[in-house]
Amino acid sequence: MAAFPIHSNFQGDFVPQLVEVDTEDSMDAVAEKCAYHSVGRRVAPQPDKVMRVRNHESKEVYPREMKVCDANWRLTETIDVIFADE
Amino acid sequence: MAKLGRNAWYDLTRATNWTPKYVSEDELFPEEMSGARGIPAATWETYDEPYKTSYPEYVEIQREKDAGTYSIKAALERSAFVDKADPGWVSTMQAHYGAIPLGEYLASIGEARMARFSKAPGNRNMATFGMMDENRHAQLQLFFPHANIQRSVKWDWAHKGLRTNEWAAVAARSLFDDIVTSRDAISTAIMLTFAFETGFTNMQFLGLAADAAETGDHTFASLISSIQTDESRHSQQGGPALEILIANGKKAEAQQLIDVAIWRSWKLFAVLTGPLMDYYTPVEARKLSFKEFMQEWIVAQFERQLLDMGLAKPWYWDILMRDLEITHHGMQMGIWYWRPTVWWNPAAGVTPDERDWLEEKYPGWNKRWGRVWDVITDNLLNDREALTLPETLPTICNMCNLPITHIPGDDWDIKDWQYEYEGRLYHFGSEPDLWCFKIDPERYKGHLSIVDRFIGGLIQPATLEGALQYMGLGPEEMGRDAHLYAWVEKFRRAKAAAA
Repeated sequence: MAAFPIHSNFQGDFVPQLVEVDTEDSMDAVAEKCAYHSVGRRVAPQPDKVMRVRNHESKEVYPREMKVCDANWRLTETIDVIFADE
Repeated sequence: MAKLGRNAWYDLTRATNWTPKYVSEDELFPEEMSGARGIPAATWETYDEPYKTSYPEYVEIQREKDAGTYSIKAALERSAFVDKADPGWVSTMQAHYGAIPLGEYLASIGEARMARFSKAPGNRNMATFGMMDENRHAQLQLFFPHANIQRSVKWDWAHKGLRTNEWAAVAARSLFDDIVTSRDAISTAIMLTFAFETGFTNMQFLGLAADAAETGDHTFASLISSIQTDESRHSQQGGPALEILIANGKKAEAQQLIDVAIWRSWKLFAVLTGPLMDYYTPVEARKLSFKEFMQEWIVAQFERQLLDMGLAKPWYWDILMRDLEITHHGMQMGIWYWRPTVWWNPAAGVTPDERDWLEEKYPGWNKRWGRVWDVITDNLLNDREALTLPETLPTICNMCNLPITHIPGDDWDIKDWQYEYEGRLYHFGSEPDLWCFKIDPERYKGHLSIVDRFIGGLIQPATLEGALQYMGLGPEEMGRDAHLYAWVEKFRRAKAAAA
C-alpha cells in the first residue's frame, strides 16, 4: 500500500484536481475519491449512473475491480472519471 | 547662444555609437545580453524608432502627467470613493494593485537590458526613457493603494504580492522572468514591448480605464490612462528591431519570439483581466465584454501590425480566437472556488441578470459554466457553504502556472496535454503551452508549479492550510465572496416568487 497522487478529470467539471489515491485502491474506490472533490460541489450528482475510470481521453474504461498498482499509471497521471450506465 | 531645434541634432545624436578601444565589441556587447544575432553594428545603427523625444521634452511631459494624476488623487481622496464603491470594483482594484506594480519594476529591468546592451543606439536611447517610465508606473501604483491600507490589509499586496508564493504571483513571475528579465536586449524589445505591451497592456489599461470611468472611479481611470500614454510610446521599440531582424534573414526567429510571448501573455491576461471585466465590474458599467476588447485590440489591431511587417499570425491563431470565448470563464470559476488562495475578494458575478448578460455575450454560457454555477448556487441556497470551498488543489499548467481549464457542463472537453520529459510527467493546459515547452525544454524543465511543490514536500504541512501559509495568506488576507453571498438572495427571491 502506498499513497499515489493522480489528477482527476471529472466529467462536467471545469478543472482537473489533485487527488491522492492508494496503489491498492480499486477503480471504483478511485472514482469515489475523485467524486468527493467534484460531485455535489460543481457537478450535479447522477444517482442512476455509475462512475467509471478511464485513461485520459481514452474510449475504454478500466474494469471496476482493477487495482491502481495494475494500471501502469505514471506519478501524477491524469485520468478521466465519467458517468456511465454500467 | 540660441539652442538648435530638436530636429537639427536628433538624428546625429541618436545614431552616435561607441567605438570601443580597450575592449572588443563582443566584450562590450556580449551576444547573450545584446542578442545582435550576427547582424553588424552598422545595421543596428539604422534602427529608427517611430516616436522621438529628447530628455528635456520627456521630463517636462512626465512632470505634467504626474502633476495631473496626483492632483486628481488629492482632490478625490476626501470623497472616499472606495467606501462607496461596489465590492466587485474594490476587488478589481485590489487584484490589479497586487499583480501589477512590482511587475513594473521587472519591466524596468527589461528596459535597462535594452538601454545597456542593445546594439541599436536608438533602442538604447528609447529604453532609457522606458526604464524611467516603468519606474514611474511602479511608484504610482505602490503609492495610490497605500492610502487604503487603513481600510484593509489587502491593499498592502501592492508591495507584497509579487514577493510571495501565492499562485497568481508565481504565474506572473514565471511570465515576467521568461519574457522580460531573462532575455537578450533584442528579444526583450520584441517580447516585452511588441508582444506584451502593444498587444496586451492596452487591455488592462485602456479597457479598465473605460470601466473605471463608468464606475465613477476617476482616480483609478486617470492613473492607468496616464500610464498607458507611456506604454504607447515605449511599446514602439519592438517594431524597428523586428524590421532589422526580418531584413537580415532572422524572420523565423522573430516569429517564434512573438508567438511565445503572445501566448504566454494571453494566458496571464485571461486570468487577470478577463474576470475583472466580465464578472467583477458592475454590469451597468461594462463598456465591452473581455472578448470584445480582445477582438478589437488583438484581432483587429495587433493582427494587422503583424501582417504589415510581413510576419504571419501565430500558428495557434485559430485556437486563440476560439479560446477568447472560453478560457477566462474557467479562470473566474477557479479564482472564486479557490477564493481563500487569493488576496482579493472575488466577485461571483452570476446573478440572474449577470447570467443573462453572459449568455448574450457568450452564447451557450448557461449550459457550460452555468451548469457548474447551478450546483454552487444550490449549495449556498441550502446552507452548504463548505461544499463551495476547496479541499485540494487544481491541476496547474507547467507553462502558464494557471489552472488547466476549458469547457465544463454539457460540452465538457477538459484536456490535459501531458508530456513526459527526462522521466518527469508535465501537464499543460493547451497545445500552445506544450509547444512553448517543447521548443526550449532546457529553459523551462526545472520550474515547479504549486502542485509540484506540494507533491514534492516543499509545502508543509501538506494540507490546504499549509498551502495557504506557503502562499503568504493570513486570515485577513484570504479572499472571501466579495458580496458575502448577497447575490444568492436574488435566486432565493426568484424561487419564492415562482413557488
